[in-house]
Amino acid sequence: MSFMDSIAAGLSLVGNVESFLALFVGVAIGTIGGAIPGMSATMAVALTLPFTFAMQPITGILLLLGVYKGGIFGGSIPAILIKTPGTPASSATILDGYPMAEKGEAGRALGMALWASCTADVISNLALILFAGWLASFALSFGPPEFFTLILFSLTIIAGVSGTSLLRGALSALLGLLLATIGLDLVYGTNRFTFGDPNMMGGLNFIAVLIGLFAIPEILAMVWNPTAHVGTARSLGNNRVTFADYRRCFKSIVRGSFIGVFLGSIPGIGAAPSAFLSYSEARRTSKNRDNFGKGEVEGVAASEAGNNGVAGATLIPLLALGVPGDVITAIIIGAFMIHGLQPGPMMFILNVDIIYGLFIGLIVSSFFLFIVGTVAIRGFKYVADIPKRILIPAVLVLCIYGVFAVNNNIFDVGVMFAMGWVGYLMVRYQVPAAPFLIAFILGPLLEDNFRQSMLMSGSDPLILFRGPITWFFWLLTVITVIAIVRAGVRAVRGIPLGGGP
Amino acid sequence: MKFKTFGAACAVSLGLATTAFAEYPERPINMVIPYGAGGATDISARTIAEPLNNAVGRPLVMANVTGAGGATGSVAVQNAKADGYTMLFARVGSHSVNPAMKATLPYTLEDFRFVTVYEINPVACAVSPNSGITSMDELIARVAEGGVTYSSSGVGSLLHIAAVMVLSEFGVTDPLTQTTHIPQKGGGAAATAVLNGTATFLCTNSSALASFVANKQLVPLMVTTAEPVPGFDAPTAADLGKPALHQLVGWTGIAGPDDLPDDVADKWGEWMATATADEEFLDKMTSRGSVIELMDPVRANEFIQGQYETFRKLVDDLGMRIEG
Repeated sequence: MSFMDSIAAGLSLVGNVESFLALFVGVAIGTIGGAIPGMSATMAVALTLPFTFAMQPITGILLLLGVYKGGIFGGSIPAILIKTPGTPASSATILDGYPMAEKGEAGRALGMALWASCTADVISNLALILFAGWLASFALSFGPPEFFTLILFSLTIIAGVSGTSLLRGALSALLGLLLATIGLDLVYGTNRFTFGDPNMMGGLNFIAVLIGLFAIPEILAMVWNPTAHVGTARSLGNNRVTFADYRRCFKSIVRGSFIGVFLGSIPGIGAAPSAFLSYSEARRTSKNRDNFGKGEVEGVAASEAGNNGVAGATLIPLLALGVPGDVITAIIIGAFMIHGLQPGPMMFILNVDIIYGLFIGLIVSSFFLFIVGTVAIRGFKYVADIPKRILIPAVLVLCIYGVFAVNNNIFDVGVMFAMGWVGYLMVRYQVPAAPFLIAFILGPLLEDNFRQSMLMSGSDPLILFRGPITWFFWLLTVITVIAIVRAGVRAVRGIPLGGGP
Repeated sequence: MKFKTFGAACAVSLGLATTAFAEYPERPINMVIPYGAGGATDISARTIAEPLNNAVGRPLVMANVTGAGGATGSVAVQNAKADGYTMLFARVGSHSVNPAMKATLPYTLEDFRFVTVYEINPVACAVSPNSGITSMDELIARVAEGGVTYSSSGVGSLLHIAAVMVLSEFGVTDPLTQTTHIPQKGGGAAATAVLNGTATFLCTNSSALASFVANKQLVPLMVTTAEPVPGFDAPTAADLGKPALHQLVGWTGIAGPDDLPDDVADKWGEWMATATADEEFLDKMTSRGSVIELMDPVRANEFIQGQYETFRKLVDDLGMRIEG
């Protein structure tokens, strides 16, 4: 079948109201689901799954993909407005999005989040369509040693999001690493720091930690000092994103999209690390780097491009290899299997109509995301106008409900509050929360891949230097560390940062 | 009785009174799935949910309570009130392998009352085509040369014990030292590890391998059932003269807390008989390589105990028990 035939076959499959409606509804459900704190994109997809059983395969899968894409964007709305990431992927958006909202630029931040998300979405979908085969074979060359070096390099982000003091950042990261060790040991299966409590055996719930760390301290601060905000009601301000903003951030958006595509095509990483990596790269190369973390629109653009860049690319290993790239695609592969479809190379031969139908649907989904996102921003931005004394208790209720619903477990709610106190103390003593989160996400990946590498080689560390990919990441790590040290030395000597590369 | 009358009064006052309120079930039943959405247990549970719902006549509320290889969800049901309103989708990993391997598991088999086992999945072993291995004999020969590794979805998972048991049955005297276990974070990752050469082979449910085998990305070496598995061009355990491996299968069942009353268990027996007879359900399950075999509580218990004892013996013989 020629390319045109394939497209025609795909069109005949999705060229009906039902498919596009499913996609549109999916994007809308995802955006709303992602925007509710605690109701992550993963949960939104999992909850939608049973409804697809009765649908045509392509309609059901388009619905799920819509929820996925909407969910990843939707998470940025509460991240910007109330400092509560709707979904783990949007935790990097908080860093600059919330300060912008504080300055009365919530509308501008939300607008940029949408534009960056849609641009990254298009790039990610195009990458899937054009390079699926090539990227999939590349992704297969990632074994534990390659992963280890990639994660090691990614951990250098911590220096970039540590704020003014690298030492405080490192302390925060150490705390994150420590908490990430709770649970079952990967290789021996023994309990680590579980104190005999079965609830701890699965490790601390990621959403509970995330919400506890970011949202609860705000609430505690309000309880501590109930009238602090009176008189400083923030306005939405001059809140439209301009084309000039977009043009200025364009480089970061494209870079973030490619980081997303790259990390998304490798199974097992996910959107949150990608958003952080994109953010850190944007900060490293930006002219306004000193403004990052204080409300820089480019920071919002970079993190949103980073997480939405993953959303199309995770389908690369899914469709080309039959391997799910992250938790959400693991649910989507279940949907394929329920309909008797087997993702993988044979699908490109046996079900070419479905493959091209999905491609067409994906391209359209970016457009739908833009429409739904615009409407959602208009609706949600009034959240910024709600008086804090009404908003904060409502957020608390949502957080408790959301965290409970992830695993139907009251223990997670306790974890959330405990982490809330940790976060509150961290804010008081100016210890940045972002390094904690990054270490919490990446630490276990680093450890697991290191130990898997050692198992593979019989404890020969040379395996960490096998092949060009590992060398490439070692080199990147060394360069980054040198750059950090140099910047540190310069800062101590009082030379302005802007001068160097 | 007092409480019931009070409840009835409330129901009447809310305008919700029905004639069936006195009989189980009078409200929705919580069904705990101890593994993540999209996995084998989840798909199986959600496929039976629809016909089961029709049989029960009350909504079934499906909740994934994940973590610690199924232990978190299992504990949630172990500690629940034995009124039949909290039930568990139990799985081979959480209720055969884990109890056999882990000394510190917060529950034992005696903490649950099984009302049924309804699905059996064959186990298949597979390698990557790049490995050059085409049969079990070649794999075993490779073990003698050294450097053979196997992946699993974690310590104490079916995949873990399956690989060890297969090696042991094929005459590898000390599989723990002659081969290396490379645990992964889930079944998908375990298959990927064989695909990208991180591990030499894996043994897992045929349904998890079906697409890789159909796509010729993985080569099946054997299936553990007595009957051949459609789509798997590989000898059966019986063909290879290893009938002991017939115990090595995956299954899904339903359990409640250990003091579940008899009338509730009987109800479940009736419902499952109706649900598993559903044509659509049968079609969906068999197309994924599962064998639908409805067991009554007694038969289910025997089956699980048999599996547990086989695994337990293997674990004790090889010193695989996890004490920490």
